[in-house]
Amino acid sequence: MTIPALTLDGLTVRIPTASGTVHAASEVDLTLRAGQVHALVGESGCGKSVVGAAICGLLPTAATVSGGIALHRPGSADVHLEAARPRTWRKIRGRRIAWIPQSAATYLTPVRTVGEQLAETCRHLDSPHTPAVLLTRVGLEPTVAGLYPHELSGGMAQRAAIAFALAGDPQVIVADEPTSNLDPELTDHTLRLLRAAADAGAAVLLISHDLDTLPAHTDRVAVMYASRIVETGPTADVFADPWHPYTRDLLAALPSGGLHPIPGMPPVLTDLPGDCVYHQRRPAPGFSGGPTHIAQHGDRSVRRLIGAAS
Amino acid sequence: MPNLRRPHAHLWAVAVLTAIAVFALAVPMLTGADPRLTDFAAAYQGPSSSHWFGTDPAGRDLFVRTAAGLRVSLVIAAVCAVTSAVLGLAVGVAAGALGGWVDRTVMRLVDGINALPHLLLGIVIVALYPGNLAAIVASIALTHWTQVARIARAEVRAARSATYIEAARLSGATRTRVTVTHLVPAAAGQGIVAVILLLPHAIWHESTLSFLGLGLPPDQASLGTLLQDARAAVLTGAWWTLLFPAAALVITTLAVAAAGAALRDRITPPLPERAIR
Amino acid sequence: MLTRRALFTVPLTAAVSLALFALASRSPFDPLAGYLGDRYLTMSTADKRRVATELGVDAPWWQQWATWVSHAVTGDLGYSRTYAQPISAVLAERGPWTLLLSGTALAAAIVIALAAGMWAGLHPGGLLDRALAAAATVVQAVPPFVMSLVAVTVFAVSLRWLPVAGLTDPGADPTFGQVARHLTLPAAVLTASLLPWLLLSLRQSIRAAAESDAVLGARARGIPEPVVVRRHILPVALGPFTTLIGLRLPELLVGAAIVEEVFSWPGLAGSLVTAARELDFPLLAALTIGTTWLVLAGSLLADIAHALLDPRVADDA
Repeated sequence: MTIPALTLDGLTVRIPTASGTVHAASEVDLTLRAGQVHALVGESGCGKSVVGAAICGLLPTAATVSGGIALHRPGSADVHLEAARPRTWRKIRGRRIAWIPQSAATYLTPVRTVGEQLAETCRHLDSPHTPAVLLTRVGLEPTVAGLYPHELSGGMAQRAAIAFALAGDPQVIVADEPTSNLDPELTDHTLRLLRAAADAGAAVLLISHDLDTLPAHTDRVAVMYASRIVETGPTADVFADPWHPYTRDLLAALPSGGLHPIPGMPPVLTDLPGDCVYHQRRPAPGFSGGPTHIAQHGDRSVRRLIGAAS
Repeated sequence: MPNLRRPHAHLWAVAVLTAIAVFALAVPMLTGADPRLTDFAAAYQGPSSSHWFGTDPAGRDLFVRTAAGLRVSLVIAAVCAVTSAVLGLAVGVAAGALGGWVDRTVMRLVDGINALPHLLLGIVIVALYPGNLAAIVASIALTHWTQVARIARAEVRAARSATYIEAARLSGATRTRVTVTHLVPAAAGQGIVAVILLLPHAIWHESTLSFLGLGLPPDQASLGTLLQDARAAVLTGAWWTLLFPAAALVITTLAVAAAGAALRDRITPPLPERAIR
Repeated sequence: MLTRRALFTVPLTAAVSLALFALASRSPFDPLAGYLGDRYLTMSTADKRRVATELGVDAPWWQQWATWVSHAVTGDLGYSRTYAQPISAVLAERGPWTLLLSGTALAAAIVIALAAGMWAGLHPGGLLDRALAAAATVVQAVPPFVMSLVAVTVFAVSLRWLPVAGLTDPGADPTFGQVARHLTLPAAVLTASLLPWLLLSLRQSIRAAAESDAVLGARARGIPEPVVVRRHILPVALGPFTTLIGLRLPELLVGAAIVEEVFSWPGLAGSLVTAARELDFPLLAALTIGTTWLVLAGSLLADIAHALLDPRVADDA
């Protein structure tokens, strides 16, 4: 049994805006284990990026967080991140939790070279690796170090971002849609790199809406709809036998599933009503339309109406 | 996210402007006093009950003189602003409507004029035509029309691609007709805002020129000439000769700028909110 | 890029000087009066005509322009009636004082803008940020000459801390102490007139940089905050800031002209006002051309600085 590295316990994130309160995440339970690649999937705008941001401490200051984010390490006390002060985050970010952003080139300072910034990161994280080693590890030529961020191609930028994330040998790696702008070959390469990182001991959270690629490269998957987790389990099992109607519909919408589009639009997350709202798109008797809870069955779980038959 | 611009700023600006207008327009009319009336016996007096703003070295009452000066400055500024606006509107609309090499040449010219410091151009023009009021107006108009032209051109270009223009054209309207009936009104809204925002610059410009002795003749009261008088007077301790005209200048400039900005904010639609990541 | 800009200077100078001469020819100003000064009033008409022919002021303006150009390229810029000196001497004598005043003011403005602008930009909405923004807006509305007068009234006349005008006390030698004392007030006023623009612009650039994705990325990587500010925010904000300084150089010159005039500072910028008032045409022409060159230089410096500081700017040859 692998060690849990990070546990989300009822994580709820609310972000006030001028047009209402955005329910970015509601009662999210998730466990990331060392050595595993855990996927978090859902349509655009379901809140998965916010979950990633919450884990990395990158939420906007106006956001309110309730519930628990606990970082574990065998032999020392848990670090509770949901209300952590900046001082705590300074010790955690980069060192124990790393973030791989989408469109990585914009997350690098434009007036300095990649190599300079990587060396700086290695220096401040007291990394055992050198920039050259990290670049080679992700499949980049050492000459990339002399390039400026705007000179990187999409694929190169993504790989560079992984190199930055690996610099501190972090326990947890959050990859926010790392392959959404890449071609199939680069997607495969990127996912293999994440797999390798997990094999080296990290717990990887892969946020993605690219479902086709997941069974081959991930161990577990969690499906999110409108700020709530609706189903979790080993990726192969969930894909072969989806329990929640939304998961079924998501898989059916893939080319491999027959390209059946889901009717309607994903809900806007502003001022969502109290519970799972999937029934507003498609009737989901037993799963949506009233108060729901997460029902655990072995290593799989699904969100059901309270009191519904299994 | 709360609206960062104070919603009541424009009310203050309007209130201040009204007070200024009353001061500038009503005072000379009501008191009937001649701002040029000298009375050397009363020279160099500080503010008192008989002379609210004190007197200048020639014994002229500064309350009346400041009011008159403010009025002159405002009138000149208004003339300059309107001239700039007309010139800018004409050129801007033409450039936007005609496009092509006309547009390119105009934009080059605009860039060239904007690069030069306005006051320098003003000084040179006024130097060559000393004492000529038209030259003063021209020197300001020739340097400030570009702002209006830019806005007018942008509005026209945006409106050009609007479908109602296509509809008008298709129904047989000539180019000129389309320009006049559709494009000019589109540019007018922004144009009015631009004119208002030109006023502080014009006041600045004229008062600086007059102060340097290159603008209005010294006995003619304007904020600039009053401050020119103040220059020598303060050396003898007559601080009031500086305070009141200077305050009038700065307050007017700020109030007009604030009113113009508030108006612009009302006309321009607000930017869309930044999306949450 | 440099050669193209340098070549562009020539036709531009020609165009500006041509325009100046053309404009002058239409003005009511009689160049003869400019040359003769007071003697104009007492001279007989016949004598005046003779002098006119000698000077060549009867020639059409483009011919006068050509004469002027032919002299100018050999270094003879003409004679300044106001200062009773060849113009090249005027430039040599008065130029350095303008450089001293403008340079001091610009340096001071940059330093203050950097310090205050950075603080305000990094603490948006804070007390200093709002106070600075408000103060800058008000100060921007005050014309430099008003500021000069206020400064003189308060510091020189009322408080008597600093001298009223001039380079030195009357009759004194320009020693370091003398000049420094007399430099303080005009430099302070010029700094104050430059500051609002620079401050607001830097504050804006820093705010934008601080909110950028690049800074978010740096923080996420675990870079400590002071390093983020020094190596990730500031370098990005400096690009637009430097560009702005280059583009604002002409404004600096005009501000200097006014300040020098009010404080009787013996600089070149102030002599622009004098030349205008006295209709000293050769001097006016020389200074106008000089300002044009300054505009070009400023814009060039701005572009060079931008290209140096921001590798994203393509260098077009």
